[in-house]
Amino acid sequence: MQKHDELENKKGMSRRRFLSVMAGAGIVGAAATMSGCSPVSDPSGTGWLPNQYRNASDLPAQVKGRVPLDPDNISLIRNDEKCILCGQCLEACEKVQSIFGYYELPVHDEFICVHCGQCSLWCPTGAIKERSEIEKVQAAINNPDVTVVVHTAPATRVGFGEEFGQEAGAWAEGQQVDALRKLGFDYVLDTNWSADLTIMEEGSELVHRITSGGVLPQFTSCCPGWVKFVEYYYPDLIPNLSSAKSPTMMHGPTIKTYMAQKLMDQGVIDNPTQIYNVAIMPCVAKKFEIAREEFTDAAAYWQEQGKDWATLESMRDMDAVLSVRELADMVRGAGIKYEDLDPNAQYDPIEGIGSTAGLIFGNTGGVMEAAVRSAYYLITGQQPPEALYTLTPVRGLEGIKKATLNIPGVGDVTVAVASGLANARKLCEQVRAGKADFQFMEIMSCPGGCIAGGGQPRTTVPPQDWVRQARIDTIYNKDKVGVINAASDEQGKTMKLALSHMNPEITAIYDEFLGAPLSDLAHHLCHTEYYSRADALDPKN
Amino acid sequence: MAIKGVLVDITKCVGCGSCTVACKMWNNQNYVNPETKETENAHGFEAELDSNTWTTVQYVKAQKDGKEVLRYVKRQCMHCQDPSCSSVCFAHAFHQTEEGAVQYDPELCVGCRYCMIACPFDIPKYEWEKAFPSVMKCQFCSSKLAQGEAPACASVCPTNALVFGDRDALLAKAHEIIAAEPDKYVQHVYGENEVGGTNWLYISDVPFGDLGFPTNLPQTSVPSNVHKFTRFTPAIFIGGAALWSGVYLYSSRRHKVAEHEGKHEEEKHEE
Repeated sequence: MQKHDELENKKGMSRRRFLSVMAGAGIVGAAATMSGCSPVSDPSGTGWLPNQYRNASDLPAQVKGRVPLDPDNISLIRNDEKCILCGQCLEACEKVQSIFGYYELPVHDEFICVHCGQCSLWCPTGAIKERSEIEKVQAAINNPDVTVVVHTAPATRVGFGEEFGQEAGAWAEGQQVDALRKLGFDYVLDTNWSADLTIMEEGSELVHRITSGGVLPQFTSCCPGWVKFVEYYYPDLIPNLSSAKSPTMMHGPTIKTYMAQKLMDQGVIDNPTQIYNVAIMPCVAKKFEIAREEFTDAAAYWQEQGKDWATLESMRDMDAVLSVRELADMVRGAGIKYEDLDPNAQYDPIEGIGSTAGLIFGNTGGVMEAAVRSAYYLITGQQPPEALYTLTPVRGLEGIKKATLNIPGVGDVTVAVASGLANARKLCEQVRAGKADFQFMEIMSCPGGCIAGGGQPRTTVPPQDWVRQARIDTIYNKDKVGVINAASDEQGKTMKLALSHMNPEITAIYDEFLGAPLSDLAHHLCHTEYYSRADALDPKN
Repeated sequence: MAIKGVLVDITKCVGCGSCTVACKMWNNQNYVNPETKETENAHGFEAELDSNTWTTVQYVKAQKDGKEVLRYVKRQCMHCQDPSCSSVCFAHAFHQTEEGAVQYDPELCVGCRYCMIACPFDIPKYEWEKAFPSVMKCQFCSSKLAQGEAPACASVCPTNALVFGDRDALLAKAHEIIAAEPDKYVQHVYGENEVGGTNWLYISDVPFGDLGFPTNLPQTSVPSNVHKFTRFTPAIFIGGAALWSGVYLYSSRRHKVAEHEGKHEEEKHEE
């Protein structure tokens, strides 16, 4: 009996007592909670921010924030989920390109952007990338009524391979052409051809300006980022910009006029509206360029010919631009193996032969060098001397380069070359101040030129000079072959040729269609006008 | 500790949205709109606060000098000096920290949503999609402030459109800035006196009403206005209780007396 009592005591607490204690505690707890006595819980964060934002002081971080980017930017998109506010895009935009920080605040009524895409190369997480046009290109390919014509920019062939594990600057011209064919593009053309056409027009314009006392120095106009930069910041220098369009924008309307006629004659198409023009570019600013309102010259041409195939709105000169990264995405998406691509695939004819003068457009200084070669010919009627084939002073990654050449009949011509818009700004200031000691100025927005354009592979992040140099070297090495061919007087017989004016398909388009450089028709299709964007911002230096 | 604040200079904002990203990062929030379940940025023309988005940068098209201009307006809790949300909350789920942050405590919240009705800036947002919802809003990064750091948004602003500091100093600075450029700035520091003053202050070159700020707010704090009559509540309660107790006592006494007299008469009658 006693044992039983002890057992009861060991249990410690009767059921009734336990319940009443719990109920009492509950009431006290509820009362304490309702009266605000519980410990404070704070939903404010304990997340992660880069260390530069964790200073317990009023001192600002050195590198902070990110570039303002219009959600409707035609070239670039940003995924906020991936952004870590590292500040690298701002570094590129402000220090390399002198865009951010070079306009007064408040802004007027738009985001200021020249669409160069350097931010997309610097972004470590890939938050900023090109606005993809893959879907609409694929739709055009899938449409049996549409003939898809594509041309590939000079610099793309030293970038394409890098997307598939090849070393920096690997030559991938053939592989790229073959990949495009396998993806279903109907005609694969070479932008080197239109680069040659640009040289004919722009070179002739330079000669005309020099000999007739026109506005000098002449600025190149192939780079749409640079053109928009002038329209924003130096509208007073618009007369200096060459009226010649960029190669792509010459290719577009000549495909839909000259080449379209040939395709109609062959019975491939019924009318030019069936052509869908795509460009593979190392660039994202080209996406902006093709959408510029004024580029409807093919439609205007056919209207003048009395054909009501298209209105200016319904047929644009160019329909889509894919960056090298997008092309690589398409290739991967289609399950095409890089190893299976034919390194010797050739471009299609009519507008597919390019000289190596066109090829070096991809390098900073290349447009200048190509133009000088042909300008020499245009002025003197003679082939340029050997020295002009290797214009060392304008080659390489230095930001600003100058060279003086003696051209018989004209005298000394000084040329200036810059890449990176912060460098371009320095030259523009010289020109504005009337202190320019040069007659011809080549600008590329991206440091190193198109080979390191905003649409190229992100082989190193941020872009490094050794990659740029590797791509530059590959292109100049290919140009050497052209130079040898030119010297051996095989002009016209081989594609690998170092002179734009000797390109057989260039002579053909002038003979059959355009007449001569700067002719009326050439003006219609190959030249353009620019307009001031001074209203968009108040510049600040 | 001095009351902290942030001065927002609308003219300096470039619309990069860094502040909205910093807010999400620090507060561990994703970009999914809790109602539509769609991923969206916290900046843009359509950007709106929700329980998962404590700050937005709203793009606004406004008119200035006859031209259309684009302005970017950061929105978040204004951190009132005398907050209505806190005043109406019978559960005491809102309180002010030493730094002046109006902090919300989900542990105490009963979910009545009085604060949402009371807030003059329409800031607190409800977690409609949850079974046990809380009301969510900017906490002024009280966890960062407690370590002497600026709130996440202000620490990342590349143009110093957001400046963090002592409210008094920021207010003086704001007046200095707008006085120095009278042609540029609207001569008003929004938040100086609105609903009695807020710890977030704004200056702008476009009238605040055009940017979507409420402009019909009282210049004194709402709780103090309401207090003019709510302070009578205890008196009315106690007075009312006393009055009706009196009436009760009076009527029950009368009843008793009447009863007593009735008995008396009965007795008399019996006699």
